[in-house]
Amino acid sequence: MDARAVFALLVSGRLGLALSFPWLPDALKYDHMLSSPLTARLRLQEGIFLYQHDIDPYSGSAFRHSPLYLSLFTTLLPIISSPTACILLWTAADALAAYSLVRIWRARAGGASERDGLVAAAYLLNPYLFLPSLGLSTSTFENLSILLALMFACEGSSSPALLAFALATHLTPPLSSLLLLLPLLGVLLSGPASSLEDPCTFTSPALRMTRLGAEYLTYVLVLGAAAAIVVGDDTYTLKWGWVGQTWGTSLTLPDLTPNIGLWWYFFTEMFDHFRPFFLGVFSIHLVIYIMPISIKFQHDPLYASFLLIGILATFKAYLTLADPGLFLSMGILFPEVWTYLRHPLPTFLLHLHAALLLPLLHALWTSHGTGNANFFYAATLVMGVANGAGVVDWCWAGMRIAIGGRGGVAGGRKIRVKGGDGEGVLEEEKDEEVKTTHSEWELEEGWEERWEVVQE
Amino acid sequence: MVTKLRRRRAFSALIYHRLSSVMAALFIVGYLWMILIPLPPLSQGTYIDENALQPAQVNTYWNWVDVHKADQYLYQLEALRHNNATSEQRAVFIRNEFSKLGLAASIQMYEFSTSSGPVRGHNAYAIMASPRASGTEAIVISASWISCIDEGSNTPNMRGISTVLSLAAFLKNQSLWAKDLIFVIGDNYLDGMHAWLNAYHGTIPSNLNTDLLQHSSGVIWTALNIDYSGHSFSHLGVFFEGLNGRLPNQDLMNSLYLIATYTGGVPVTVYDHLDPSEFPNKWEEMSIFPSWIPSAIRKSAYAQLYSYRARNVLRQLGYQARGRASGVHGLFHKFRIDAITLYAVPATGPHGFHALGKIVESTLRTANNLLERLHASFFFFILTSPGTFMKIGTFLPSAILISVAMMFGGLREWVDAGVTQQHYTTTSKGDKTPTTKVKWVPRSRPVLHALIIMIITHIMGIALFSLISTRWYMDSNSTCSLALVGLSLFLPSIILQGIPQPSSTAAPVWMVLKSFNLCFASTIISITSLLNFSLAAALAVTLGLPLTLASPSSIASPPLIKYAFYCILATGWLALCPREVADAIWNWEVLGVWFGPFVCIIYVPLVIQASLVCFYQS
Repeated sequence: MDARAVFALLVSGRLGLALSFPWLPDALKYDHMLSSPLTARLRLQEGIFLYQHDIDPYSGSAFRHSPLYLSLFTTLLPIISSPTACILLWTAADALAAYSLVRIWRARAGGASERDGLVAAAYLLNPYLFLPSLGLSTSTFENLSILLALMFACEGSSSPALLAFALATHLTPPLSSLLLLLPLLGVLLSGPASSLEDPCTFTSPALRMTRLGAEYLTYVLVLGAAAAIVVGDDTYTLKWGWVGQTWGTSLTLPDLTPNIGLWWYFFTEMFDHFRPFFLGVFSIHLVIYIMPISIKFQHDPLYASFLLIGILATFKAYLTLADPGLFLSMGILFPEVWTYLRHPLPTFLLHLHAALLLPLLHALWTSHGTGNANFFYAATLVMGVANGAGVVDWCWAGMRIAIGGRGGVAGGRKIRVKGGDGEGVLEEEKDEEVKTTHSEWELEEGWEERWEVVQE
Repeated sequence: MVTKLRRRRAFSALIYHRLSSVMAALFIVGYLWMILIPLPPLSQGTYIDENALQPAQVNTYWNWVDVHKADQYLYQLEALRHNNATSEQRAVFIRNEFSKLGLAASIQMYEFSTSSGPVRGHNAYAIMASPRASGTEAIVISASWISCIDEGSNTPNMRGISTVLSLAAFLKNQSLWAKDLIFVIGDNYLDGMHAWLNAYHGTIPSNLNTDLLQHSSGVIWTALNIDYSGHSFSHLGVFFEGLNGRLPNQDLMNSLYLIATYTGGVPVTVYDHLDPSEFPNKWEEMSIFPSWIPSAIRKSAYAQLYSYRARNVLRQLGYQARGRASGVHGLFHKFRIDAITLYAVPATGPHGFHALGKIVESTLRTANNLLERLHASFFFFILTSPGTFMKIGTFLPSAILISVAMMFGGLREWVDAGVTQQHYTTTSKGDKTPTTKVKWVPRSRPVLHALIIMIITHIMGIALFSLISTRWYMDSNSTCSLALVGLSLFLPSIILQGIPQPSSTAAPVWMVLKSFNLCFASTIISITSLLNFSLAAALAVTLGLPLTLASPSSIASPPLIKYAFYCILATGWLALCPREVADAIWNWEVLGVWFGPFVCIIYVPLVIQASLVCFYQS
């Protein structure tokens, strides 16, 4: 089918579903799995109400969205109290995000292909993305801004990419954008084409990189100033109270509302005098991943950003299902890696278990009263394991592909194996009467040298 | 690095080779564990977890005067029944009696619309405000008009209602209640109380037409339901299973056990099962062992103990797996209320109103002591006998082991689908004779095909459920069910016609289908076991081996016996137990029990998928 027809069908299907069950957003808005204190629509509504009644929404602790949302939903689109208009806006955001994903895919594959429809479907049919969006969680806009930034970066337009990324910096917790900045600049400098099979060293034009960094910083500051004006009493005063309430939240974790991440339970149980130390540990732990991943995958920064999104989806504070959703949907961009995945089915099954356990144990704790917080925490651990398994597997596969050896078939398409002799099929050793399992292939001759290359 | 890779390879090869025996071992241990659940060493003695309860620590004041009052109420009720009083007349009588006591009393009219016709009735209830507290919490003492004997088959619960009425008169005079007491007489068996509870909590479903309640009270924490239909009773039975497999907090039952034993002097049983050790001459009819086992073995004390506990476990399994409430108390659990039924096991003696009143009075005092809700984690148990129970850790592994074995089977099928053997001949450099070599070639897996088949079967499950819950199906039950079973025989060929064949180099669809089928079934079993162990165990028994053993036929025509077996396993229940089907539909429509939809939308499609695996030819 034509990609455009598929796209239209998917978007209208979603819209039809959301509009024919108008009670769905209300039923989902309290769900702890779909929205966190940073993304809940309920809190956004509260903040807008306070703002419109001339009360600083950041003086309390209910509202932690960016001021940019305030200006968006009070001046440009004053629709937050109209469910139908909200559904339209959120669906449009999702459609735009899916379209950006398709454009990223086109940039990477070098033109339109028959897979475009599949890429759009991977985003629009992903329940992890679909449900938060039905619950009108603002994580939809976070994902949209990240994908837009990546899309512009892939297409080489640096200023729009940096602007979109500055927007993402404002909408998402700051650590998220900090993690993605380096690979994003990498994409801008070396392009989106796949070079996983043929790793080479990245030579960075330091001057250009600094210039891009400075441009990004300017955008962030301009948007920040705009935000400060929005919150200010009148147009001439700037107010910076929102910085601590929005960016600071994911660093200081003042709100311990349960979510699917690993932070909340840990900090619920902790004595107060350990808090600063462990907050530091948890935050720095996230930052640790930037350099190794960026260096290891310097030849393919888009892949590096994909992996860092996966790491964020495992370890960040105030996690919602939309974060692992973005990671899983982005996996569609790298079909050359699929055959090298070692345990795709177990990862999927872990996600299936987590997706079933989370609502179930949440209900046992909060509505049935037969379980307690530990039940839900156990389910979030399963979620953590599922996310971790995904990241580790993609990380391995991204490196393994450089060795080659499995000219596998990905979705019926023969994948070109660079650097190998083209023979992807390996013989079984005769002395061992062992049937080789799918994941464990005898390696080609000379693989060790190539392994060294990857290791560097 | 190389050694690490080699070691890992050798290890996974080892597991892969031993997988069949590992799976067999898991199945055997899992099924054996299920059989051994009633064994005494696996159970432990019950104890009170919540210290505030202090059961059987109070003097009771219920006396023969109150028994006389209960007798008088009984005469009036029997007169009503003798005159074939309508539901409304009965409710008016009870409301008037409550009002005479000075309680705030009222009547609730309700009507459910179901596919088998409307269900209507009248409930009477009264609220006694707590003399000690502000009435933020409440305890319910209830009786329904019909007793739970034979699942509500028209035995009126006269003495149960008289007990509630006389208790109302008695408890009103005491000043020590820290919680409101609510007395409810529900009409019919389950539907009356269901309507009352929904109206009380403001969760009126769309098919229920009812008045709003005139009087209300606080949050209900505990409920005791009294079921006393015989003339006298010998034992006090405890019924505790609620809708959708929910159980009350075990502390409530344990308290009742202590109170009945030490305050009331009445032996406690689980359900109406009598302990064979009390009736040495009846051991033969109480044994669950078949008669070909030598009677010396069957008569041994250990075998009798085993069969007593096995009957208790099986009964709990039957209620819980089907999501049935074993009595009126089962409706309360949904609202986070711990509730049980006190069932007076009909006998010629020796106990009556006197013992029952004392026990209820003391149990209410225990419930009155609570300062916070009963603890979490005491909700997952199997009551093997009144004084012994099993913790979750001692029974859960049985179902989990089977689900793990199924998961292994599914993963192996997935691995197998990814590779194929290719024979080819080469001539080696030394000698010129060609040698045949085997090499393993990776192949793609038709994931999308298998997923489409699965989605189609589940959609058909939804269609099946909406079909059997229509009025029309209920009316023409027997012919329709046979037609449906027959249709399920033809379905696979219809489905498979519509699915395009994958390319010839890809793995056969059945391998991926079987893999997904097993993995999904395993996931369902292990997730369900947390919520409702009995249902998970039932699924493990019905799905475990059949799904694992499903394989395509090697002969040209599909072997009909194997195929028919799966079809009967999937939809045979439609024709074999029509009453169960009607009950399940009624339970879904009126009480919201998930069992019917679950069977149609999850269980049937899973078995159909296995039958489709058999339909393929290898």
